[in-house]
Amino acid sequence: MLPDELKLKLEKMISDAESPREKAIDVMFEIQELQGWMSDEAMVEAAGLLGMTPLELEELATFYDYIYRSPVGKYVIKVCDSTVCWLEGHQSIIDYISARAGVPMGGTSPDGLFTLLPVCCIGYCDRAPAMVINKRVYGKLTPEKIDRILDKLANSAEFHESE
Amino acid sequence: MPRLIIDDLEVDVPKGSKVIDAAERLGIMIPRFCYHEALGSVGACRMCAVKFIQGPFKGVQMSCMIDAQDGMVVSTTDEEAVQFRQRVIELLMMNHPLDCPVCDEGGQCLLQDETVSGGHAIRRYRGKKRTYRDQYLGPYIQHEMNRCIHCYRCSRYYQEFSGYRDLGPLQIGDRMFFGRFSDGKLESPFSGNLVDICPTGVYTDKTARFKVRRWDLHRAPSLCNHCPLGCNTIANAHYRGVMRVEARYNQDVNGYFICDAGRFGFSYSNGGALHEKRPWTPRIQGSDVSAKAAIAKAREDLDNVAEKYGPGAIAAVGSARNSLESQCMLGKICRTRGWRGPVFFTDPAKLRKTRSALERLDGDIAVSLREIENADFIVIAGADPLNEAGMAALAVRQASRKQAPIVTIDPRPLFLPCDFDHIPAAPGKIELYLGMLISAALAKDSTGFGKEAVDFYSALVAEKGKSEVPAGIFSLAERLGASQRPVIICGTDVTRETTPSFTADCVRLLRLAGKQAGLFYLLPGAGSFSSALLSGTDGEAFGDLIGDIENGLIKALVVVESDPFHYYPDRVRLERAMESLELVVAIDYFPSSTVSRASIFYPASTIFETGATYVNQEGRAQFARPVHHGGVPVWGGEHPPRVYSNSIPGGDHLPAWKALWEIAGSTPDTGAADISPGEFIPAEHAAFEAFGSDNYPVDGIRVLQGKAGLTGNWNSRIEESSQRPENAEPLELLMVEWMFGTTEFSAWSDSLASAIAEPYMSMNSKDACRAGVCDGDRVSLELDNGTIEIKVSVSDRAAEGVLVIPRHQSLDWRKMKDFSVRVLPGKIRKI
Repeated sequence: MLPDELKLKLEKMISDAESPREKAIDVMFEIQELQGWMSDEAMVEAAGLLGMTPLELEELATFYDYIYRSPVGKYVIKVCDSTVCWLEGHQSIIDYISARAGVPMGGTSPDGLFTLLPVCCIGYCDRAPAMVINKRVYGKLTPEKIDRILDKLANSAEFHESE
Repeated sequence: MPRLIIDDLEVDVPKGSKVIDAAERLGIMIPRFCYHEALGSVGACRMCAVKFIQGPFKGVQMSCMIDAQDGMVVSTTDEEAVQFRQRVIELLMMNHPLDCPVCDEGGQCLLQDETVSGGHAIRRYRGKKRTYRDQYLGPYIQHEMNRCIHCYRCSRYYQEFSGYRDLGPLQIGDRMFFGRFSDGKLESPFSGNLVDICPTGVYTDKTARFKVRRWDLHRAPSLCNHCPLGCNTIANAHYRGVMRVEARYNQDVNGYFICDAGRFGFSYSNGGALHEKRPWTPRIQGSDVSAKAAIAKAREDLDNVAEKYGPGAIAAVGSARNSLESQCMLGKICRTRGWRGPVFFTDPAKLRKTRSALERLDGDIAVSLREIENADFIVIAGADPLNEAGMAALAVRQASRKQAPIVTIDPRPLFLPCDFDHIPAAPGKIELYLGMLISAALAKDSTGFGKEAVDFYSALVAEKGKSEVPAGIFSLAERLGASQRPVIICGTDVTRETTPSFTADCVRLLRLAGKQAGLFYLLPGAGSFSSALLSGTDGEAFGDLIGDIENGLIKALVVVESDPFHYYPDRVRLERAMESLELVVAIDYFPSSTVSRASIFYPASTIFETGATYVNQEGRAQFARPVHHGGVPVWGGEHPPRVYSNSIPGGDHLPAWKALWEIAGSTPDTGAADISPGEFIPAEHAAFEAFGSDNYPVDGIRVLQGKAGLTGNWNSRIEESSQRPENAEPLELLMVEWMFGTTEFSAWSDSLASAIAEPYMSMNSKDACRAGVCDGDRVSLELDNGTIEIKVSVSDRAAEGVLVIPRHQSLDWRKMKDFSVRVLPGKIRKI
């Protein structure tokens, strides 16, 4: 299932660790990097490499927000779902993104580009409302800014903004 | 000993006790969900809140998280604490469905009880309830996640306590879910305890669904008689059927839990075996007759045989299934009537092993399961705890959780639900490796051992140099040397006859070296302790009788709760021998091969229908109370006969000992009414002097007394030399037990059928190479009377020189000329 190259890399990573288990999250991130999400097959295979049961790995995978157990779009938009962002109008941000990208909360847009999810406080309270897209954080969101960001993302798969 | 005051009552508790336990000592049951004595505290449910008034803590705190300390004053009834608990139960009930009327937990539900006692009656929450998709967890456990209150008891029990890794907590927050990675049968053979431990109805007993409400059940304290441990159970019956079995707490035996074989292996008693029904009515030559007629005919025919050939031509056959009452009655009848026997074992070697084990066991060194849990080093020699006595494996795991090293010396590629070091050893090498471990562990200075013990020790040391040394044994020995409370668990199934005695000497040597060493034998069955005592020094086994049946010395058999066909390794020979008999009287509750061949059959009652005493492997006598009278169940397919009668259909059965007394003890006028167990048990053996058949203490009585001083016989020496097997040397065939699929109980309980795995033969990879077979192959194995076909499992963890095959019910293995046979590698052929 997993490409041999990745498998070798993971095996090395695990054997270098003091106990295999401590690499569980890193292994899942590596696989996700390549495949976008953790399928059941990938879970079983990763658990095998780690000497864990699939259940034990699933306990971790389903605990964390950043490990996806179902397919997600190319860009995962996570809107901060905590107190300060609530005060700064996070619901209208969600509504706007939903309408703009054509994706309900928890869903993926028909073109497979965007997935919209809530996320716990990301520590960007001073620039609320905030969101994370893949590994980038965006603060002080306004409809115009969201338009700009989503347009750029849609136009360029390689786009990165440093705001 | 901290002293504290709870609700104005003073109590002293051991250091380290939690406040919740201290209150329990006073009879104050603080409400709780997540806390369980066996699992410890996590503080997850917030239900056990109490008010701390004086002492190091103040205010409302969780009583399961705080150690009892001197000077504490605690109130469980303080208004603030009561209101706190009321809010907690309201919160826990927020998502809980209102399905109590149709829930299997209803009537025995902690959540239900504590909701009522907490005073929460009206739901204020108006939102949508959280719901889940449930999983299929196998044939025994029904999953209903909507009822979950997230106490974590299930995952803590399943993963931490019992050591299995396929059920646990998933997701987060409001989606929190307890289950498996995907639908499927739970892997743990201890999964039934989820039913007992869940404080609400997330896990319920699937086998008991849609049959009965809790409050309609007849309940009685019972025992499990599937293995020698004697786990305490509660039997639940309704409408003449046993509905379910639950674990009953016994601090020295099983604690809070039991295994699935014991929990679900009761359906034989309801008549529901897959292929044969339980025989309910007395029979003569296969035709149903009245109880009176069967008894009278049996008396008459036995008298005829005794008159014609002498009473010695009648032999009595019991088994390890027998209760103490049946065994003592068999002994009494044989003595007074001059019959041969009774025999309780089939394999003479197993009788000798069990007897030599008991000779060496006394109250000082015999340990209980609880003491195994507290051991700091465990050696398992020639025993498979998981398969031979399931709860012993859980006890070993508890020791392992407390960092005790576990070492197994066994020919089988054993599995235990904990970390352990396995030393593969053919039966002939178990003593050698055990001796190596012990001698290397003890200080060279053996002064104070006494001369004989020194001789024994020197012999161990001398033997050490003669053979190859298993890897890692010396580092293990070092840890054994540092231990204080080591325990040796010794088996009686695959071991040599000398091994039990040798092991006892090893334990005594450890004690001489200043350790609180303990000994735990795994015996072959629930009644084997008492049967070996009653067999005396010159007792025989069924295997010793068969020659005399063949040459006509024995003309009649009285077979009581026993089935030689199940245990005897040569079916053809046994069939011929049984055919040559003039009379077979069988008293049993299984529809066994012996019963179907009996000239006269009388139905025996099961442990659920009769009070029965069993003495477990550490010599603890315990009593199971009857839960119901029994008879053809009124549910499940068959309707009882539509005839008017004062008696219960199928209710003619008697306890086996009573039936035997009617047939061969009493006079026809008095019947069975003229004797009680208290009258005949004490006379049969000195160990049972104080016995009636009732009024036992809750935890049973230990029949083993401590002997003065340390008595060893110190004569045991390592028997076999230790050369490697030559290429052509035949492989030793070891027939072994599995938890599911090899016992008589699993043969006649359809409820266990779904737990039975396909049989396979284990062998070492070098032997497999010689025989030219690979892992996963199907092979034919040529035995004396034919061949068997079986899958092969090849492992380096199996000892060289042995083939291990389960006495599996789907395997026609009874084709061996003797109890122990050897097979040339050439007799194994790949199919």
